[in-house]
Amino acid sequence: MLLVDLQVAARNLTRHTRRNLFLGAALAAVTGLMVLLGALTAGIEGSMMESATTLLTGDVNVGGFFKITSGSAAPLVSGYPRVLAVTRATVPDLDYYTIRGRGWAKAVSDSASMDLVLGGVDIAHEPAVRRVLQPVAGTLDELARPNTMLLFQGQAERLKVGVGDVVTLSAPTERGVNNTVDVRIAVVVKNVGIMSAFSAFIQADTLRGLYSLSPDATGAIHLFLKDREQANLVAARLREELQRQGWRVMEPDPQPYYMKLFQTVPSEDWTGQKLDITTWEDELGQFKQFIWGVKVFTGLLVFVLMVVIVIGILNTLAIAIRERTREIGTLRAIGMQRRKVLWLFMLETLLLGLGGCAFGALAASALAAGLNAAAIGVPEAVQLFLSQEHLTFKLGFGAAATDVLLLTLVTVAASLAPALRAARLKPITAMHHIG
Amino acid sequence: MSIISVRDVSKDYLLGKTQVHALRGVTLTVERGEFLSVAGPSGSGKTTLLNLIGCVDTPTTGVVEVAGRDTSRLTERALTDLRLHQIGFIFQSFNLVQVLSVFQNVEFPLLLQGGLTRAERAVRVQGLLEAVGIREYGRHRPSELSGGQRQRVAVARALVTRPALVLADEPTANLDSQTGQNIIDLMREMNRKDGTTFVFSTHDPKVMAHANAIVRIADGVVAGREPVGAMA
Ligand SMILES: Nc1ncnc2c1ncn2[C@@H]1O[C@H](COP(=O)(O)OP(=O)(O)OP(=O)(O)O)[C@@H](O)[C@H]1O
Ligand SMILES: [Mg+2]
Repeated sequence: MLLVDLQVAARNLTRHTRRNLFLGAALAAVTGLMVLLGALTAGIEGSMMESATTLLTGDVNVGGFFKITSGSAAPLVSGYPRVLAVTRATVPDLDYYTIRGRGWAKAVSDSASMDLVLGGVDIAHEPAVRRVLQPVAGTLDELARPNTMLLFQGQAERLKVGVGDVVTLSAPTERGVNNTVDVRIAVVVKNVGIMSAFSAFIQADTLRGLYSLSPDATGAIHLFLKDREQANLVAARLREELQRQGWRVMEPDPQPYYMKLFQTVPSEDWTGQKLDITTWEDELGQFKQFIWGVKVFTGLLVFVLMVVIVIGILNTLAIAIRERTREIGTLRAIGMQRRKVLWLFMLETLLLGLGGCAFGALAASALAAGLNAAAIGVPEAVQLFLSQEHLTFKLGFGAAATDVLLLTLVTVAASLAPALRAARLKPITAMHHIG
Repeated sequence: MSIISVRDVSKDYLLGKTQVHALRGVTLTVERGEFLSVAGPSGSGKTTLLNLIGCVDTPTTGVVEVAGRDTSRLTERALTDLRLHQIGFIFQSFNLVQVLSVFQNVEFPLLLQGGLTRAERAVRVQGLLEAVGIREYGRHRPSELSGGQRQRVAVARALVTRPALVLADEPTANLDSQTGQNIIDLMREMNRKDGTTFVFSTHDPKVMAHANAIVRIADGVVAGREPVGAMA
């Protein structure tokens, strides 16, 4: 029986080819759009999060602030080797770690200047950075030399400098004077999204020199875990352990460190060293918000399209039922139960929905793969937003299947009311119907 | 017990704002095994009466009993079951399913009933197609057939479940006299062999001649019932 049902449904679909093709195409288009937008969002999220965690934060950060007076603050962990020793003992599932200086300076070239959040890197011990940063001029190894700096392409263009040129960094210090240092541009790398607008890297000891810091002081220890999901647990465990061993540890506060540096910490009433343990989610809250915004936007778009589709289905089925009233009447008269009529109509939309949506998803996947392969350049203005230089779609079978199922479900649900109307027709009224 | 018992049945239709009294107090009893013809001029109410007996419509007043069950007391579901298992209906205008082949159209009531295997169904359907003379058209769609051929498909579909009661609304109206004769013969044989009750409406005196009895209706009332012998 099921075979015959399928056959009836399929043949009824092909009998009204144009109408059903139109509806199927609309379904395919919406599904395709959903899959594409989803893959694009995932692509943005993937590249944004990967580069952001590698460059700005670890999975867990052991940072801190040092206050000489209660009105000032510096992003510092003093005596970090001891902190590191405790940390390594407390976090056995550590993949690797990096030591980063933290700072903030005005970069001044011959013709321009800009404010930059500085990271002090020891490039010899930063394996992951090489994965994320692609030099356009110079080499990353050069950054091992003293008084060198790494700029992103956009920054280099703004400052009108290239590799070998010198810029002056001017940094406000705790003592209220501005320290300066001249650094040579060792390497210029490709932009990697929004963070390339405001952050740059200098050699670690140069950063210490700029702030007159001792060699055992740094900005933060970035911890990269084998399982990122454990970040919150590890952070909590670290807070407890460091506190137990005598450090003062700040309450968890999901904000990036530079927000704390400029806004909350200087107004707190304490002096000396405090540690601050954060996770990548805390540090990248704004990125997550941005991704969330993108998702809400695409969600709304898809919702509106879905409403249009539902209206289309209701209309199409209403027409189909009017046309087939006589046939339904006959079937009811020869003994077909109402629920069977209902089933036949819903089966028809199920086939249409599944076919249209699956086609749309496949077409979109092919298109996305094609676009990935074509490596289409993203306009520079949008690059910052998308964190991508080339349009990159991240296709997931699960996500696409979910889209297909969801839309098919909506389609079938939309057919429920018209199908019920068809099932309720009295056999005789149905047979009298002309048409 | 009689297979059909119609008592004081009236049926009004609302046609725009005017009431049409299609039936006005019809009483009729049909025994099992009868081969009964309902005759009357166009518009006299033949189709209306058959529809009421076939449980596809409900009377305005009066009682319709089919196979001992008062149809007004049955749920829609039970009525559907009654139609499926007890009644075969041949419609005045065929009403075949366009998207199914001739074979599938005839097989359909068996599928709805369930119970028979695929092979059993094939034998049953093939036998009927042969009996109505369209064996070689099994794979065709209804739209590829002539009016007469479609009528034969409709006849085969009504008979395929071997129902106790077959209602036929002008079963031969669209057929040439030879085919019409074949179909009447087929019905007659089922009547004789299985005791199937047949009630059919017709205008054609030659067809009436095959019946046991003729019920004449005019203007929505039964004008009389006569055995066929008396007519000759
Ligand atoms: N659905 C309906 N709505 C309104 N009037 C109807 C309807 N069905 C039948 N009638 C009317 O009821 C009366 C009886 O119709 P019915 O179809 O039963 O006659 P009939 O004897 O079958 O005629 P014919 O020989 O032409 O088939 C007619 O006057 C017809 O116009
Ligand atoms: Mg009629």
